[in-house]
Amino acid sequence: MSKLDIFMLVVRVAFSAFVPLCFIAVCVWMERRGAGFFQDRSGPNRANIFGFRAAGLVQNLSDAVKLIFKEDVTSAHIKHKFYFVLAPVLVFFTALVSFAVVPFADTLVIGGKSYIMQGIPIDLGILWFLALAGFSVYGIILAGWSSTNKYGILGGLRSAAQVISYEIPMGLAVISLLVVYGTVNLNEMAQFQGRLLFGFIPMWGAILQPLSMVIFIVAAFAETNRTPFDLAEGESELVAGYHVEYSAMKFAVFFMGEYVALFASSAIIVTLFFGGYQIPFLATATLVKGAKPVAFLLMILLPVAMYYFAGWIRRNNVSHYPRENDPRVFEANIYIKCFWALVIFLELVLLAILFSESGGSAAHIFVALLQVGTFLLKVTLMLFVYIWVRWTLPRFRYDQLQKLGWQMLLPLALLNIFITSAFVVALS
Amino acid sequence: MGANVKTIERKGSTPQERFYLLEIFKGMATTFGHFIRNLLDTRKLYVRHYPEVKPEIPVRWRGRHRLTTHPDGTVKCVACFMCQTNCPANCIMIEAGERYDGKTEKMPVKFNIDLLECIYCGYCVEACPVDAIRMDTGIYSVIDNNRESFVIGLDELLKTPGAFSEEEYKKGGA
Repeated sequence: MSKLDIFMLVVRVAFSAFVPLCFIAVCVWMERRGAGFFQDRSGPNRANIFGFRAAGLVQNLSDAVKLIFKEDVTSAHIKHKFYFVLAPVLVFFTALVSFAVVPFADTLVIGGKSYIMQGIPIDLGILWFLALAGFSVYGIILAGWSSTNKYGILGGLRSAAQVISYEIPMGLAVISLLVVYGTVNLNEMAQFQGRLLFGFIPMWGAILQPLSMVIFIVAAFAETNRTPFDLAEGESELVAGYHVEYSAMKFAVFFMGEYVALFASSAIIVTLFFGGYQIPFLATATLVKGAKPVAFLLMILLPVAMYYFAGWIRRNNVSHYPRENDPRVFEANIYIKCFWALVIFLELVLLAILFSESGGSAAHIFVALLQVGTFLLKVTLMLFVYIWVRWTLPRFRYDQLQKLGWQMLLPLALLNIFITSAFVVALS
Repeated sequence: MGANVKTIERKGSTPQERFYLLEIFKGMATTFGHFIRNLLDTRKLYVRHYPEVKPEIPVRWRGRHRLTTHPDGTVKCVACFMCQTNCPANCIMIEAGERYDGKTEKMPVKFNIDLLECIYCGYCVEACPVDAIRMDTGIYSVIDNNRESFVIGLDELLKTPGAFSEEEYKKGGA
């Protein structure tokens, strides 16, 4: 193994381990400020370090500090302390590992050698995700049971029933996708989606399999225990469901596990249905060839976008009441300077690409970075959809949830398999 | 005379509503409208920037209590115990004493109100025959870090001025 090999190994493992962790902060921030904006209030925007609030991101830090220093209570009535502690770890771990098979860029070719851009280089792909997503509910059931609490056990039971009902439509929705893609490997699926249908429509899963997309997304909401399917922690009837007995960091691990699962399932949805890391109309080979025009276009677009972004910051980062020497204006100016510095740095990088050898390894790395950026952008949009749905829809009643799972989604998924198979057989 | 019956139209039975997904998208469009409007311009949030911007307190609003005085600054209260008797939360504790300045025969030597017990119902103000206790201070936030300081005495009650003029208070119909 050369030094480059080891470096690429570290990069890909670090990416798939730390990016979900970083996105916890982004998710929590998006959830809380987004909820505020959806409900015409402002959300947490006061916590600051020396007056810098970072649009409310500092609140996450203070929450983390609070949770770390809180007393970690394990009630005396809990008999199986080991399982009690194991449960949040299980939820968190399975969520984190399920992201490991998702490719975040196309196979990178440097100096004739190719490097896979996913955490674990295995071909299981979607099967790995399905297995671990099914496994993560064990953590919730274990938490409910080992809490020795009525609400906890009811939450765990509901979660178990829900997962059984929604795992099946999810798996069946994936089957029709497999018929189309002809592979379980997520990277090959993403490569497939880089092609064009009739020469002008990107061959995304969402376009080839719209019904499968709806079923999969609904099932994914249920799998991640998000509204409208968060019966396992329905406050109105179960207090907090399976995490009533948990406090401090044990609760925080549950909470973080939930958001990592959110990130992982968003990544899977993006990879299966929205082209993964592919930029529409620009497949990897085209991008490598046209690295210079793309870099040039970005060099023009970046300052323009930044100009409007700076205007937005200046307009919104002010005190909305009369105040002398408004410190928020000063804060906004600092932010704008930081962002301009970032833009200048990016411009320099793009300039280096413009002067590099065309089709060389610099172009390949540039394309990989572009694809990582696209992938993260798509995932963030999908996370926003999760949050958007949460603050729009009320919770399902338990019987409605089961009815939807068994009587609607299951027959629809089966029908979808028949139609897809008929099409594939007829066309081949 | 038949009862005034209003038939409410039942919703949710048309095929379009049964399909569910379309209605979900409609709902999501509504919430997204709110989101994007607030994101583009945070001035449009329905938010009062408390504590920098204080709410407007109307005259009839029941805030923290105070004891009123005669024009010469002596206490109006005659220690009749009406408010204490009437108090549903038992938060008023009066100790009566003799009064020597010729205005009345009795006056309070102690007048304690436990603000942690008080439910701010205003019955004491209603019960008072001489308009000696009022809740027109406009104080809505009573904070401290120990229980004892929430029991306020005669001095504190007499010291706090009313937040409104006499005419405004009378017009408010208290």
